[in-house]
Amino acid sequence: MALAKQISQTTDGHVVGGQRLARRRWPLVSVILGVLTALTMSLSIWLIFVYTPIDALQGETQRILYFHVPTAWAGMLSFVIMAGLGIIYLFKPDERLDWLARASAEVGVVFLTITLILGATWGKPIWGAWWVWDARLTATLILWFMYVGYLMLRSYMGRTVESARGGAVIGIIGAIDVPIIYLSVNWWRGQHPVTQIGTQGALPPQAVLTIMVALVAFTLLYAFMMVQAYQLQRLQTLAQRLRIQVE
Amino acid sequence: MQTYLIAAYIIAWLGVCIYLVVLAMRMRGVRTELAAVAELVREQLEQKEQ
Repeated sequence: MALAKQISQTTDGHVVGGQRLARRRWPLVSVILGVLTALTMSLSIWLIFVYTPIDALQGETQRILYFHVPTAWAGMLSFVIMAGLGIIYLFKPDERLDWLARASAEVGVVFLTITLILGATWGKPIWGAWWVWDARLTATLILWFMYVGYLMLRSYMGRTVESARGGAVIGIIGAIDVPIIYLSVNWWRGQHPVTQIGTQGALPPQAVLTIMVALVAFTLLYAFMMVQAYQLQRLQTLAQRLRIQVE
Repeated sequence: MQTYLIAAYIIAWLGVCIYLVVLAMRMRGVRTELAAVAELVREQLEQKEQ
């Protein structure tokens, strides 16, 4: 409630707080996350293009999956985090939780869009089609629409308590799709490859290491983006409140 | 085969970079607005005091 406290202070404090927030550029957590993301992402790219052997069947195209899987992970993680924040928000309304949820949705839609595009560019040379109505692909597309719907609703309803409550409910409902996406390849026979990480002998150890490093890199990138998007939400709320005060 | 790989990585990086640039621009916009509104509030307060 740091911002809320600043807002509820005297009007002089209000102005000073606004100017201070307007000047502050890079919080320490952003710098740390940015550096860690750059390091792990560089290592990940080296592993993908130099260390890991080429797949005997799929050839170079298989390397797309080293980005496709982590972006899908980040996209689904966003919705799980949104749902968690939504549940807490419904019991204990706090605007910081709402800012975090909105930030998570924004970042999640970016990752999920990239996932769908990467999947299509892998599918074209391997399956011969950009898109197939496979269970996992369809469930992922539904999740993407939920993200877009969430962002549209929040944008339409503005920064109100009702909007935050509605967003929390959508976040919780949307998260039901995440385990469906994950388990769809086991439940329904489709074209999408089954989960190979953790299956004995399914992937060479180099490929497992590469995908693990890529997962860490994308989780850090997700956290870095989240911090930026959260800061934006915070500043936008403060700007809106100051604007109301001026009017 | 390589064309798809190159296209995929370009799209992925472009997506991430475009979002970060858009975020930075929105942040700059809101900071500018915040500073301007804060200045307006200060002016209003000074006028009230006088």
